Amino acid sequence: IATFLGRKLQPRPQNEVEETLKRIQGQKGVQGIIIVNAEGIPIKTTLDNSSTVQYAGLIHQLVMKARSTVRDIDPQNDLTFLRVRSKKNEIMIAPDKDYFLIVIQNPSD
Amino acid sequence: MRGMRMVLRKKRIGPIVEVFPRKQRLCLLAFQRGCQTRPVHTAEAEIQPLLNADNGTQTDPQDHLIYQLPPKGELRPESPGLRDFLHRVEDMVVKELASNAKSHAFDGFDVNWEDQNETVSCIHCLQHPSAQEKGLQVTSISWSCTGSVIACAFGRVDDGDWSTEKSCVCTWNLDRRGLNPKRPDMVIDVARPVMSLSFHPSQPSLIAGGLYSGEVVVWDTNRTQDLILAQTGMSTDTHREPVYQVAWVPGPRRGEMVVLSAGSGGRVLLWTVDSDEGRLVLSAGFALIRQQVPHNSALSKNRGSSNVGVTSLALSPWDLDTFLVGSESGLVLKCSFSAQTLAAAPPDGESVTLRAPAQFSFSPRGGPVHSLHCSPFHRNLFVSVGTDGLAHLHSLLQPDPLLSLRVSDSYVFGVRWSPTRPLLFAAATGQGLVQIFDLGRKSLRPAATLDQLTGGQPVYCLEFNPRRKDLLAVGNADGSVNIWHLSTELTEQGPRETAKLEQLANEVAE
Repeated sequence: IATFLGRKLQPRPQNEVEETLKRIQGQKGVQGIIIVNAEGIPIKTTLDNSSTVQYAGLIHQLVMKARSTVRDIDPQNDLTFLRVRSKKNEIMIAPDKDYFLIVIQNPSD
Repeated sequence: MRGMRMVLRKKRIGPIVEVFPRKQRLCLLAFQRGCQTRPVHTAEAEIQPLLNADNGTQTDPQDHLIYQLPPKGELRPESPGLRDFLHRVEDMVVKELASNAKSHAFDGFDVNWEDQNETVSCIHCLQHPSAQEKGLQVTSISWSCTGSVIACAFGRVDDGDWSTEKSCVCTWNLDRRGLNPKRPDMVIDVARPVMSLSFHPSQPSLIAGGLYSGEVVVWDTNRTQDLILAQTGMSTDTHREPVYQVAWVPGPRRGEMVVLSAGSGGRVLLWTVDSDEGRLVLSAGFALIRQQVPHNSALSKNRGSSNVGVTSLALSPWDLDTFLVGSESGLVLKCSFSAQTLAAAPPDGESVTLRAPAQFSFSPRGGPVHSLHCSPFHRNLFVSVGTDGLAHLHSLLQPDPLLSLRVSDSYVFGVRWSPTRPLLFAAATGQGLVQIFDLGRKSLRPAATLDQLTGGQPVYCLEFNPRRKDLLAVGNADGSVNIWHLSTELTEQGPRETAKLEQLANEVAE
């Protein structure tokens, strides 16, 4: 039983955000999840600090470039999903107006 | 009693009893008594702490507290809209992740960003004819931090006598057009044979060298006149025996590098560069004495000096405090820069007190340990080679080797891990071959063998280029340095190599 200053704590209400992240993390081969806000600042992460900051900065720029590419080709179109596949793993990015969800997966794991 | 009075007359002190008139005379006795405690023992003493430490504590700002009582009925305030965003994207992301894990779309798909090189070839054979005429051998090579300049030191490895032969240090810039393999770009003449060489890790013009006489010199190749930036000279601080290893290690101040030198006299010394005076000043020193070596198995008591002669040294890229030492008698020791125990060596006029650095001793080898190297991909692994012809893969955590590979039937003089492939290392043999081993392969035979074409003369040293991952420089006893261009197979990291290395490191030796 967790106590703080002798008082019993209520278990923290499991919030939906955490539940969702846990479900995604449980998928096969997922190495890390980062949620970045519209300014490119990471607000939630399962990786260490330095990797998170690196991914957040670089991917934010990449998503902006990808989005402008899609809209330049057809102004009525817009980016819905971005996948970057490399030798070692795959980075999946789900963009939105206010947040990006970045998931790093190694499919062969 | 009635009538008793005590009267104090003015002049007298002390209780005085007046004798009453006869009718009322009463005999009164007054006694004077004093009392006091037994003598109180006092003593003065001073105390002072031996070690001081400054420490501060502070509570964490509110939102980092783990146990934060939630206000009644409310959730912790979170980024607005995050929940809804995740709700929207979750299904799509999970579907993609699942189908990606099952997908065969990319099986066998490889992209060639760079030119694939199938073969290993020797692209340069660098020689200095005047050194070769004197029969000097290449004792040590070093790449500059930019990866374009290779420096090689000439001296003798097989000569046991005190040598006063003049030798040199030559450098070639491989990226320069008009590279002449027979003519070095720069030749630095040295009065004694040079046994070890090391470029500064960030300043491409500084080279540190260790000489046969025990001196340590730092050259600055940017200078035009006298190339010596600093040297130890022959003082009471210097080594008395050949210096077999020099290296640059971070110094106490940030950004400063000091020179580490280790020699067969059993001393590991740290020197700061004083370029104004042109001197290397001894800043710290360690002495390896046989009696202070921690041993877990009985070592034979050799007759001879109690110094443990150092023939090789390796710095750990993971832990700046640890270094490994290989000795003439086959000991491999794990040492620490911050060891505080004083060395049991009689003071010999050195300006700093020598400390004993050895903390752990690995299982001893059957002959001098010529080379050690810590793996750049795993913090606990290192490989050691010596005159018994074997390469031992060790973990820092246990005394016995994890793996023992037969490299050659003769001596093995150098070993280096590949900077790009976690499972690959190369070893230089006394038969003139460089054997490259791939630990990911099932067989224990080498993945590649590079024949130095020296007619069977030994190969003494080898170094991978820190910038260009496909170049390997090899120094031979016939005075030549061969630059090899390795195939893609030997330089490209395969999938899961780091995991396999981790698995290897976790095996416990039987």
